[in-house]
Amino acid sequence: MRPSVKIAAGTLVVLATYVYLVLERPGVSGIGALVALAGYLLGSVLIILGATDRLSTSAVALVPVAIAINIVVGQLALATGIPLYLDSIGIVLVGVLAGPAAGAATGALTCVIWGLTINPTIMPFAVTAAEIGTLAGLAAMVGAFRRPWWAALSGLLTGIVSALVSSPISAFVYGGATTSAGTTAVVGVFQAYGNTLLASTTLQGLISDPLDKTVTFSLTFLILLALPARFRQRFAFARSHRVFARRVALEA
Amino acid sequence: MATLDFYQAGRSRVHGWNPVTKLSLSLTLVVTAFALPVLWWPVALLVLVLLPAVLASGVQRRFLATMSRFLLPVILLLFVIQGLFYPGGGQVLLTLGPLSVHADGLLFAARTALRLVVLTGSFLFLLLTTHPGDLMTALVARGLPPKISYVVSATLQIIPAFRQRAQGILQAQRARGLRTDTGLVSRVRALVPLISPLILGALSEVDERSIAMEARAFGSTARRTSYTVIPDSTAQRLARWLMLLAALTAIALTTTGVVS
Repeated sequence: MRPSVKIAAGTLVVLATYVYLVLERPGVSGIGALVALAGYLLGSVLIILGATDRLSTSAVALVPVAIAINIVVGQLALATGIPLYLDSIGIVLVGVLAGPAAGAATGALTCVIWGLTINPTIMPFAVTAAEIGTLAGLAAMVGAFRRPWWAALSGLLTGIVSALVSSPISAFVYGGATTSAGTTAVVGVFQAYGNTLLASTTLQGLISDPLDKTVTFSLTFLILLALPARFRQRFAFARSHRVFARRVALEA
Repeated sequence: MATLDFYQAGRSRVHGWNPVTKLSLSLTLVVTAFALPVLWWPVALLVLVLLPAVLASGVQRRFLATMSRFLLPVILLLFVIQGLFYPGGGQVLLTLGPLSVHADGLLFAARTALRLVVLTGSFLFLLLTTHPGDLMTALVARGLPPKISYVVSATLQIIPAFRQRAQGILQAQRARGLRTDTGLVSRVRALVPLISPLILGALSEVDERSIAMEARAFGSTARRTSYTVIPDSTAQRLARWLMLLAALTAIALTTTGVVS
Protein backbone atom coordinates (compact mmCIF):
# COMPACT_ATOMS: atom_id res chain seq x y z
CA MET A 1 0.00 0.00 0.00
CA ARG A 2 1.18 3.53 -0.68
CA PRO A 3 1.76 5.70 2.41
CA SER A 4 -1.02 8.16 1.59
CA VAL A 5 -3.47 5.25 1.13
CA LYS A 6 -2.53 3.93 4.58
CA ILE A 7 -3.04 7.34 6.17
CA ALA A 8 -6.39 7.79 4.44
CA ALA A 9 -7.53 4.29 5.40
CA GLY A 10 -6.44 4.86 9.01
CA THR A 11 -8.33 8.15 9.19
CA LEU A 12 -11.43 6.51 7.73
CA VAL A 13 -11.28 3.67 10.26
CA VAL A 14 -11.03 6.18 13.13
CA LEU A 15 -13.93 8.26 11.82
CA ALA A 16 -16.09 5.18 11.17
CA THR A 17 -15.38 3.94 14.70
CA TYR A 18 -16.44 7.25 16.21
CA VAL A 19 -19.60 7.52 14.10
CA TYR A 20 -20.57 3.93 14.94
CA LEU A 21 -20.08 4.50 18.68
CA VAL A 22 -22.07 7.73 18.72
CA LEU A 23 -24.93 6.50 16.53
CA GLU A 24 -25.28 2.93 17.78
CA ARG A 25 -24.63 3.70 21.47
CA PRO A 26 -23.69 0.11 22.27
CA GLY A 27 -24.60 -0.68 25.86
CA VAL A 28 -22.59 -2.52 28.44
CA SER A 29 -22.36 -5.64 26.26
CA GLY A 30 -18.68 -4.92 25.83
CA ILE A 31 -18.85 -4.65 22.06
CA GLY A 32 -18.72 -0.87 22.44
CA ALA A 33 -15.42 -1.06 24.31
CA LEU A 34 -14.03 -3.61 21.88
CA VAL A 35 -15.00 -1.54 18.83
CA ALA A 36 -13.55 1.59 20.47
CA LEU A 37 -10.27 -0.16 21.29
CA ALA A 38 -9.91 -2.12 18.06
CA GLY A 39 -11.06 0.61 15.68
CA TYR A 40 -8.91 3.29 17.24
CA LEU A 41 -5.93 0.92 17.49
CA LEU A 42 -6.17 -0.20 13.86
CA GLY A 43 -6.61 3.40 12.70
CA SER A 44 -3.63 4.62 14.73
CA VAL A 45 -1.40 1.80 13.48
CA LEU A 46 -2.27 2.53 9.85
CA ILE A 47 -1.62 6.24 10.38
CA ILE A 48 1.73 5.57 12.12
CA LEU A 49 2.86 3.20 9.35
CA GLY A 50 1.80 5.49 6.53
CA ALA A 51 3.20 8.63 8.13
CA THR A 52 6.63 7.25 9.08
CA ASP A 53 7.13 5.95 5.52
CA ARG A 54 7.27 9.50 4.29
CA LEU A 55 9.28 11.11 7.09
CA SER A 56 12.55 12.72 6.08
CA THR A 57 15.64 11.99 8.15
CA SER A 58 15.51 15.39 9.84
CA ALA A 59 11.90 14.71 10.84
CA VAL A 60 12.83 11.26 12.17
CA ALA A 61 15.54 12.90 14.27
CA LEU A 62 13.03 15.44 15.59
CA VAL A 63 10.33 12.94 16.64
CA PRO A 64 12.14 11.30 19.64
CA VAL A 65 13.03 14.74 21.00
CA ALA A 66 9.42 15.84 20.57
CA ILE A 67 8.12 12.78 22.40
CA ALA A 68 10.57 13.36 25.23
CA ILE A 69 9.34 16.97 25.42
CA ASN A 70 5.74 15.76 25.70
CA ILE A 71 6.51 13.35 28.50
CA VAL A 72 8.89 15.50 30.54
CA VAL A 73 6.91 18.74 30.25
CA GLY A 74 3.70 16.80 30.95
CA GLN A 75 5.21 15.50 34.16
CA LEU A 76 6.60 18.93 35.03
CA ALA A 77 3.10 20.41 34.67
CA LEU A 78 1.75 17.65 36.86
CA ALA A 79 4.42 18.36 39.49
CA THR A 80 3.70 22.09 39.62
CA GLY A 81 0.03 21.31 40.27
CA ILE A 82 -1.56 23.42 37.55
CA PRO A 83 -4.85 22.14 36.11
CA LEU A 84 -3.39 21.69 32.60
CA TYR A 85 -1.88 18.60 30.98
CA LEU A 86 0.63 20.37 28.68
CA ASP A 87 1.61 16.93 27.39
CA SER A 88 1.27 17.68 23.69
CA ILE A 89 3.70 20.55 23.01
CA GLY A 90 6.04 18.20 21.13
CA ILE A 91 3.16 16.83 19.05
CA VAL A 92 2.10 20.34 17.95
CA LEU A 93 5.73 21.23 17.26
CA VAL A 94 6.19 18.30 14.86
CA GLY A 95 2.78 18.87 13.27
CA VAL A 96 3.67 22.49 12.49
CA LEU A 97 7.22 21.81 11.28
CA ALA A 98 6.84 18.49 9.46
CA GLY A 99 3.15 18.28 8.56
CA PRO A 100 -0.08 16.61 9.72
CA ALA A 101 1.04 13.03 9.01
CA ALA A 102 4.26 13.43 10.98
CA GLY A 103 2.32 15.11 13.79
CA ALA A 104 -0.14 12.23 13.88
CA ALA A 105 2.65 9.65 14.07
CA THR A 106 4.37 11.62 16.85
CA GLY A 107 1.13 11.77 18.80
CA ALA A 108 0.32 8.09 18.53
CA LEU A 109 3.91 7.07 19.32
CA THR A 110 3.92 9.38 22.37
CA CYS A 111 1.07 7.36 23.82
CA VAL A 112 2.75 4.08 22.93
CA ILE A 113 5.98 5.13 24.67
CA TRP A 114 4.13 6.65 27.62
CA GLY A 115 2.43 3.28 27.94
CA LEU A 116 5.71 1.37 27.62
CA THR A 117 7.47 3.41 30.27
CA ILE A 118 5.18 5.16 32.71
CA ASN A 119 1.55 4.14 32.58
CA PRO A 120 0.01 1.48 30.29
CA THR A 121 -3.51 2.82 30.83
CA ILE A 122 -2.67 5.81 28.56
CA MET A 123 -2.25 3.68 25.44
CA PRO A 124 -5.91 3.52 24.29
CA PHE A 125 -5.87 7.32 23.94
CA ALA A 126 -3.28 7.17 21.11
CA VAL A 127 -5.89 8.23 18.60
CA THR A 128 -6.56 11.52 20.41
CA ALA A 129 -2.87 12.37 20.35
CA ALA A 130 -2.76 11.52 16.64
CA GLU A 131 -5.71 13.82 16.06
CA ILE A 132 -3.93 16.69 17.84
CA GLY A 133 -0.87 16.27 15.60
CA THR A 134 -3.03 16.13 12.46
CA LEU A 135 -4.99 19.26 13.32
CA ALA A 136 -1.83 21.15 14.32
CA GLY A 137 -0.35 20.30 10.90
CA LEU A 138 -3.52 21.32 9.06
CA ALA A 139 -3.66 24.58 11.03
CA ALA A 140 -0.06 25.33 10.07
CA MET A 141 -0.90 24.55 6.43
CA VAL A 142 -3.55 27.26 6.30
CA GLY A 143 -1.22 29.72 7.99
CA ALA A 144 -2.56 29.66 11.56
CA PHE A 145 0.96 29.74 13.01
CA ARG A 146 1.77 33.12 11.47
CA ARG A 147 -0.20 35.02 14.13
CA PRO A 148 -0.55 34.24 17.84
CA TRP A 149 -4.33 34.60 18.03
CA TRP A 150 -4.89 32.21 15.10
CA ALA A 151 -2.63 29.68 16.82
CA ALA A 152 -4.63 30.01 20.03
CA LEU A 153 -7.93 29.67 18.15
CA SER A 154 -6.79 26.54 16.32
CA GLY A 155 -5.76 25.17 19.72
CA LEU A 156 -9.26 25.81 21.02
CA LEU A 157 -10.81 23.97 18.05
CA THR A 158 -8.35 21.10 18.41
CA GLY A 159 -9.31 20.81 22.08
CA ILE A 160 -12.98 20.51 21.21
CA VAL A 161 -12.25 17.74 18.71
CA SER A 162 -9.99 16.01 21.29
CA ALA A 163 -12.82 15.93 23.80
CA LEU A 164 -15.13 14.35 21.20
CA VAL A 165 -12.60 11.76 20.05
CA SER A 166 -11.45 10.63 23.49
CA SER A 167 -14.88 10.46 25.15
CA PRO A 168 -15.82 6.99 23.77
CA ILE A 169 -12.62 5.59 25.30
CA SER A 170 -13.30 7.22 28.66
CA ALA A 171 -16.90 6.03 28.59
CA PHE A 172 -16.75 2.53 27.12
CA VAL A 173 -13.31 1.37 28.26
CA TYR A 174 -12.93 3.17 31.60
CA GLY A 175 -16.58 3.59 32.57
CA GLY A 176 -16.04 7.33 33.10
CA ALA A 177 -13.45 6.89 35.85
CA THR A 178 -9.90 8.28 35.79
CA THR A 179 -7.11 8.41 38.35
CA SER A 180 -8.20 11.96 39.13
CA ALA A 181 -11.02 12.27 41.65
CA GLY A 182 -11.88 15.72 40.27
CA THR A 183 -12.58 14.74 36.67
CA THR A 184 -14.38 11.57 37.76
CA ALA A 185 -16.63 13.60 40.05
CA VAL A 186 -17.46 15.94 37.14
CA VAL A 187 -18.50 12.93 35.04
CA GLY A 188 -20.66 11.76 37.95
CA VAL A 189 -22.35 15.15 38.25
CA PHE A 190 -23.23 15.18 34.54
CA GLN A 191 -24.66 11.67 34.86
CA ALA A 192 -26.68 12.73 37.89
CA TYR A 193 -28.34 15.38 35.70
CA GLY A 194 -29.59 12.59 33.44
CA ASN A 195 -26.91 12.52 30.74
CA THR A 196 -25.71 9.23 29.28
CA LEU A 197 -22.22 8.05 30.14
CA LEU A 198 -20.90 8.99 26.69
CA ALA A 199 -22.45 12.46 26.90
CA SER A 200 -21.03 12.93 30.40
CA THR A 201 -17.45 12.05 29.45
CA THR A 202 -17.78 14.29 26.37
CA LEU A 203 -18.92 17.23 28.52
CA GLN A 204 -16.13 16.58 31.03
CA GLY A 205 -13.61 16.60 28.16
CA LEU A 206 -15.07 19.86 26.85
CA ILE A 207 -14.31 21.47 30.22
CA SER A 208 -10.62 20.56 30.32
CA ASP A 209 -9.37 19.92 26.77
CA PRO A 210 -10.06 23.21 24.93
CA LEU A 211 -8.29 25.30 27.60
CA ASP A 212 -5.32 22.95 27.71
CA LYS A 213 -4.91 22.90 23.93
CA THR A 214 -5.29 26.68 23.64
CA VAL A 215 -2.42 27.13 26.10
CA THR A 216 -0.40 24.37 24.40
CA PHE A 217 -0.77 25.89 20.91
CA SER A 218 0.10 29.36 22.22
CA LEU A 219 3.19 28.07 24.04
CA THR A 220 4.28 26.19 20.91
CA PHE A 221 3.83 29.36 18.88
CA LEU A 222 6.18 31.20 21.27
CA ILE A 223 8.72 28.38 21.16
CA LEU A 224 8.69 28.36 17.35
CA LEU A 225 9.19 32.11 17.39
CA ALA A 226 12.28 31.68 19.53
CA LEU A 227 13.81 29.02 17.27
CA PRO A 228 16.41 30.10 14.72
CA ALA A 229 14.92 30.50 11.22
CA ARG A 230 17.57 28.14 9.86
CA PHE A 231 16.14 25.34 12.01
CA ARG A 232 12.54 26.01 11.01
CA GLN A 233 13.42 26.06 7.34
CA ARG A 234 15.10 22.64 7.49
CA PHE A 235 11.68 21.04 7.15
CA ALA A 236 10.27 20.71 3.63
CA PHE A 237 6.70 21.02 4.93
CA ALA A 238 7.35 24.33 6.68
CA ARG A 239 9.08 25.65 3.54
CA SER A 240 6.56 24.56 0.93
CA HIS A 241 3.48 25.66 2.87
CA ARG A 242 5.10 28.90 4.03
CA VAL A 243 4.12 28.10 7.63
CA PHE A 244 6.06 31.13 8.90
CA ALA A 245 5.30 33.37 5.94
CA ARG A 246 6.47 36.71 7.27
CA ARG A 247 9.96 35.57 8.14
CA VAL A 248 10.41 33.80 4.80
CA ALA A 249 9.44 36.94 2.94
CA LEU A 250 12.06 38.92 4.85
CA GLU A 251 14.79 36.41 4.12
CA ALA A 252 13.89 36.07 0.44
CA MET B 1 18.39 7.80 38.00
CA ALA B 2 15.11 5.95 37.80
CA THR B 3 14.96 3.26 35.15
CA LEU B 4 12.66 4.06 32.33
CA ASP B 5 10.92 0.79 31.64
CA PHE B 6 9.00 -1.80 33.60
CA TYR B 7 11.31 -4.59 32.47
CA GLN B 8 12.46 -6.86 35.27
CA ALA B 9 15.29 -9.12 34.15
CA GLY B 10 14.88 -12.80 34.84
CA ARG B 11 15.78 -16.22 33.52
CA SER B 12 12.36 -17.84 33.51
CA ARG B 13 10.99 -19.61 30.43
CA VAL B 14 8.47 -16.80 30.01
CA HIS B 15 11.31 -14.29 29.69
CA GLY B 16 12.73 -16.43 26.90
CA TRP B 17 9.55 -16.53 24.85
CA ASN B 18 9.52 -14.62 21.62
CA PRO B 19 8.18 -11.09 22.34
CA VAL B 20 5.65 -11.49 19.53
CA THR B 21 4.19 -14.51 21.33
CA LYS B 22 3.78 -12.48 24.51
CA LEU B 23 2.29 -9.59 22.56
CA SER B 24 -0.19 -11.98 20.93
CA LEU B 25 -1.09 -13.36 24.35
CA SER B 26 -1.77 -9.86 25.68
CA LEU B 27 -3.89 -8.90 22.68
CA THR B 28 -5.85 -12.16 22.82
CA LEU B 29 -6.57 -11.72 26.53
CA VAL B 30 -7.80 -8.17 25.98
CA VAL B 31 -9.95 -9.04 22.95
CA THR B 32 -11.63 -12.02 24.60
CA ALA B 33 -12.14 -10.15 27.89
CA PHE B 34 -13.95 -7.33 26.11
CA ALA B 35 -15.73 -9.46 23.50
CA LEU B 36 -17.56 -11.95 25.73
CA PRO B 37 -20.35 -10.28 27.74
CA VAL B 38 -20.10 -12.73 30.64
CA LEU B 39 -19.37 -11.19 34.03
CA TRP B 40 -17.09 -13.93 35.37
CA TRP B 41 -15.15 -14.43 32.12
CA PRO B 42 -12.37 -11.88 32.90
CA VAL B 43 -11.96 -13.57 36.29
CA ALA B 44 -11.43 -16.90 34.54
CA LEU B 45 -8.84 -15.34 32.23
CA LEU B 46 -7.03 -13.81 35.21
CA VAL B 47 -6.97 -16.95 37.33
CA LEU B 48 -6.34 -19.50 34.57
CA VAL B 49 -4.02 -17.61 32.21
CA LEU B 50 -2.61 -14.31 33.41
CA LEU B 51 -1.72 -15.10 37.02
CA PRO B 52 -0.04 -18.45 36.21
CA ALA B 53 2.00 -16.69 33.51
CA VAL B 54 3.00 -13.94 35.96
CA LEU B 55 3.93 -16.48 38.65
CA ALA B 56 5.91 -18.56 36.16
CA SER B 57 7.98 -15.52 35.22
CA GLY B 58 8.62 -14.56 38.87
CA VAL B 59 7.59 -10.91 38.49
CA GLN B 60 4.52 -11.16 40.75
CA ARG B 61 5.65 -8.62 43.37
CA ARG B 62 6.19 -5.79 40.94
CA PHE B 63 3.12 -6.90 39.01
CA LEU B 64 0.87 -6.55 42.04
CA ALA B 65 2.47 -3.33 43.25
CA THR B 66 2.23 -1.63 39.85
CA MET B 67 -1.29 -2.87 39.18
CA SER B 68 -2.62 -1.56 42.47
CA ARG B 69 -0.87 1.78 41.93
CA PHE B 70 -2.53 2.23 38.53
CA LEU B 71 -5.90 0.65 39.05
CA LEU B 72 -6.96 0.90 42.71
CA PRO B 73 -7.88 4.61 42.56
CA VAL B 74 -9.62 4.20 39.18
CA ILE B 75 -11.65 1.20 40.32
CA LEU B 76 -12.57 2.83 43.62
CA LEU B 77 -13.83 5.95 41.84
CA LEU B 78 -15.58 3.81 39.24
CA PHE B 79 -17.64 2.02 41.91
CA VAL B 80 -18.50 5.24 43.74
CA ILE B 81 -19.56 7.18 40.62
CA GLN B 82 -21.37 4.39 38.80
CA GLY B 83 -22.95 2.98 41.96
CA LEU B 84 -24.51 6.38 42.64
CA PHE B 85 -25.11 7.92 39.23
CA TYR B 86 -25.46 5.10 36.69
CA PRO B 87 -28.42 6.04 34.45
CA GLY B 88 -31.31 3.60 34.58
CA GLY B 89 -30.90 2.63 38.17
CA GLY B 90 -32.45 -0.74 38.82
CA GLN B 91 -32.93 -2.13 42.29
CA VAL B 92 -32.02 0.31 45.07
CA LEU B 93 -29.66 -1.33 47.52
CA LEU B 94 -28.96 1.49 49.93
CA THR B 95 -30.20 5.04 50.47
CA LEU B 96 -27.94 7.74 51.90
CA GLY B 97 -29.99 10.93 52.17
CA PRO B 98 -30.48 12.24 48.63
CA LEU B 99 -28.18 9.58 47.14
CA SER B 100 -28.97 5.94 46.52
CA VAL B 101 -26.83 3.00 45.47
CA HIS B 102 -28.21 1.08 42.49
CA ALA B 103 -27.58 -2.55 41.64
CA ASP B 104 -27.26 -1.88 37.90
CA GLY B 105 -24.56 0.70 38.50
CA LEU B 106 -22.54 -1.63 40.71
CA LEU B 107 -22.86 -4.39 38.12
CA PHE B 108 -21.62 -2.04 35.39
CA ALA B 109 -18.73 -0.94 37.62
CA ALA B 110 -17.77 -4.55 38.35
CA ARG B 111 -17.87 -5.46 34.66
CA THR B 112 -15.75 -2.47 33.66
CA ALA B 113 -13.29 -2.97 36.55
CA LEU B 114 -12.68 -6.64 35.72
CA ARG B 115 -12.03 -5.81 32.08
CA LEU B 116 -9.67 -2.99 33.07
CA VAL B 117 -7.70 -5.41 35.24
CA VAL B 118 -7.28 -7.75 32.26
CA LEU B 119 -6.42 -4.87 29.90
CA THR B 120 -3.77 -3.35 32.17
CA GLY B 121 -2.55 -6.65 33.58
CA SER B 122 -1.88 -8.34 30.27
CA PHE B 123 0.15 -5.41 28.96
CA LEU B 124 2.01 -5.02 32.23
CA PHE B 125 2.89 -8.72 32.02
CA LEU B 126 4.32 -8.13 28.53
CA LEU B 127 6.31 -5.08 29.67
CA LEU B 128 7.63 -6.70 32.85
CA THR B 129 8.97 -9.76 31.06
CA THR B 130 10.13 -8.22 27.77
CA HIS B 131 12.94 -5.75 27.21
CA PRO B 132 11.68 -2.92 24.95
CA GLY B 133 14.74 -3.40 22.72
CA ASP B 134 13.90 -7.08 22.21
CA LEU B 135 10.28 -6.24 21.45
CA MET B 136 11.38 -3.74 18.80
CA THR B 137 13.91 -6.17 17.25
CA ALA B 138 11.28 -8.90 17.06
CA LEU B 139 8.76 -6.54 15.49
CA VAL B 140 11.28 -5.19 12.95
CA ALA B 141 12.01 -8.80 11.97
CA ARG B 142 8.27 -9.09 11.22
CA GLY B 143 8.15 -6.01 9.02
CA LEU B 144 7.86 -3.05 11.39
CA PRO B 145 9.62 -0.10 9.66
CA PRO B 146 13.08 0.52 11.21
CA LYS B 147 12.19 4.22 11.48
CA ILE B 148 9.53 3.43 14.11
CA SER B 149 11.91 1.17 15.99
CA TYR B 150 14.49 3.97 15.97
CA VAL B 151 11.99 6.51 17.29
CA VAL B 152 10.94 4.26 20.19
CA SER B 153 14.47 3.22 21.16
CA ALA B 154 15.91 6.73 20.83
CA THR B 155 13.11 8.20 22.94
CA LEU B 156 13.71 5.68 25.71
CA GLN B 157 17.36 6.81 25.80
CA ILE B 158 16.64 10.53 25.59
CA ILE B 159 14.04 10.80 28.36
CA PRO B 160 16.31 10.12 31.39
CA ALA B 161 18.84 12.70 30.20
CA PHE B 162 16.00 15.07 29.57
CA ARG B 163 14.55 14.66 33.01
CA GLN B 164 17.92 15.43 34.53
CA ARG B 165 18.15 18.59 32.46
CA ALA B 166 14.64 19.60 33.56
CA GLN B 167 15.64 19.14 37.20
CA GLY B 168 18.77 21.21 36.62
CA ILE B 169 16.78 24.03 35.02
CA LEU B 170 14.24 23.96 37.84
CA GLN B 171 16.98 24.28 40.45
CA ALA B 172 18.80 26.98 38.50
CA GLN B 173 15.64 29.08 38.12
CA ARG B 174 14.76 28.60 41.79
CA ALA B 175 18.24 29.79 42.71
CA ARG B 176 17.46 32.92 40.68
CA GLY B 177 14.32 33.49 42.75
CA LEU B 178 11.63 31.73 40.71
CA ARG B 179 8.68 30.85 42.92
CA THR B 180 6.71 27.69 42.17
CA ASP B 181 4.78 27.45 45.42
CA THR B 182 2.30 30.36 45.25
CA GLY B 183 -0.99 30.95 43.40
CA LEU B 184 -2.20 29.51 40.14
CA VAL B 185 -1.25 32.42 37.88
CA SER B 186 2.30 32.57 39.19
CA ARG B 187 2.68 28.83 38.70
CA VAL B 188 1.61 29.05 35.07
CA ARG B 189 3.94 32.01 34.62
CA ALA B 190 6.73 30.03 36.26
CA LEU B 191 6.41 27.34 33.61
CA VAL B 192 7.70 29.60 30.82
CA PRO B 193 11.27 30.04 32.17
CA LEU B 194 11.31 26.30 32.87
CA ILE B 195 9.97 25.00 29.58
CA SER B 196 11.62 27.29 27.07
CA PRO B 197 15.30 26.55 27.91
CA LEU B 198 14.46 22.86 28.11
CA ILE B 199 12.85 22.71 24.68
CA LEU B 200 15.19 25.09 22.89
CA GLY B 201 18.18 23.18 24.24
CA ALA B 202 16.76 19.86 23.11
CA LEU B 203 15.87 21.10 19.64
CA SER B 204 19.37 22.46 19.09
CA GLU B 205 20.59 18.85 19.15
CA VAL B 206 18.21 17.72 16.41
CA ASP B 207 20.35 19.22 13.62
CA GLU B 208 23.45 17.33 14.70
CA ARG B 209 21.50 14.13 15.10
CA SER B 210 20.00 14.24 11.65
CA ILE B 211 23.36 14.97 10.02
CA ALA B 212 24.91 12.05 11.89
CA MET B 213 22.05 9.79 10.84
CA GLU B 214 22.21 10.81 7.20
CA ALA B 215 25.96 10.18 7.21
CA ARG B 216 25.20 6.59 8.30
CA ALA B 217 22.65 5.92 5.53
CA PHE B 218 19.67 5.97 7.91
CA GLY B 219 17.03 6.41 5.22
CA SER B 220 18.38 3.57 3.08
CA THR B 221 15.72 1.03 2.17
CA ALA B 222 18.15 -1.86 1.63
CA ARG B 223 17.36 -4.96 3.66
CA ARG B 224 19.48 -5.14 6.81
CA THR B 225 20.63 -8.01 8.94
CA SER B 226 20.10 -7.95 12.68
CA TYR B 227 22.81 -8.19 15.32
CA THR B 228 20.57 -9.81 17.93
CA VAL B 229 18.59 -12.92 17.06
CA ILE B 230 15.28 -13.37 18.88
CA PRO B 231 14.52 -17.06 19.54
CA ASP B 232 11.32 -18.60 18.22
CA SER B 233 9.95 -22.12 18.08
CA THR B 234 7.36 -24.16 16.23
CA ALA B 235 5.32 -24.54 19.41
CA GLN B 236 5.16 -20.77 19.82
CA ARG B 237 4.23 -20.30 16.17
CA LEU B 238 1.40 -22.78 16.65
CA ALA B 239 0.35 -21.07 19.91
CA ARG B 240 0.12 -17.73 18.12
CA TRP B 241 -2.20 -19.16 15.47
CA LEU B 242 -4.35 -20.77 18.16
CA MET B 243 -4.59 -17.48 20.07
CA LEU B 244 -5.67 -15.67 16.90
CA LEU B 245 -8.30 -18.36 16.41
CA ALA B 246 -9.50 -17.98 20.01
CA ALA B 247 -9.83 -14.20 19.67
CA LEU B 248 -11.77 -14.53 16.42
CA THR B 249 -14.04 -17.18 17.97
CA ALA B 250 -14.82 -14.89 20.91
CA ILE B 251 -15.78 -12.06 18.56
CA ALA B 252 -17.89 -14.42 16.40
CA LEU B 253 -19.71 -15.82 19.46
CA THR B 254 -20.73 -12.35 20.60
CA THR B 255 -21.65 -10.84 17.25
CA THR B 256 -23.78 -13.83 16.28
CA GLY B 257 -25.50 -13.68 19.67
CA VAL B 258 -24.57 -17.20 20.82
CA VAL B 259 -23.27 -15.78 24.10
CA SER B 260 -25.19 -12.87 25.57
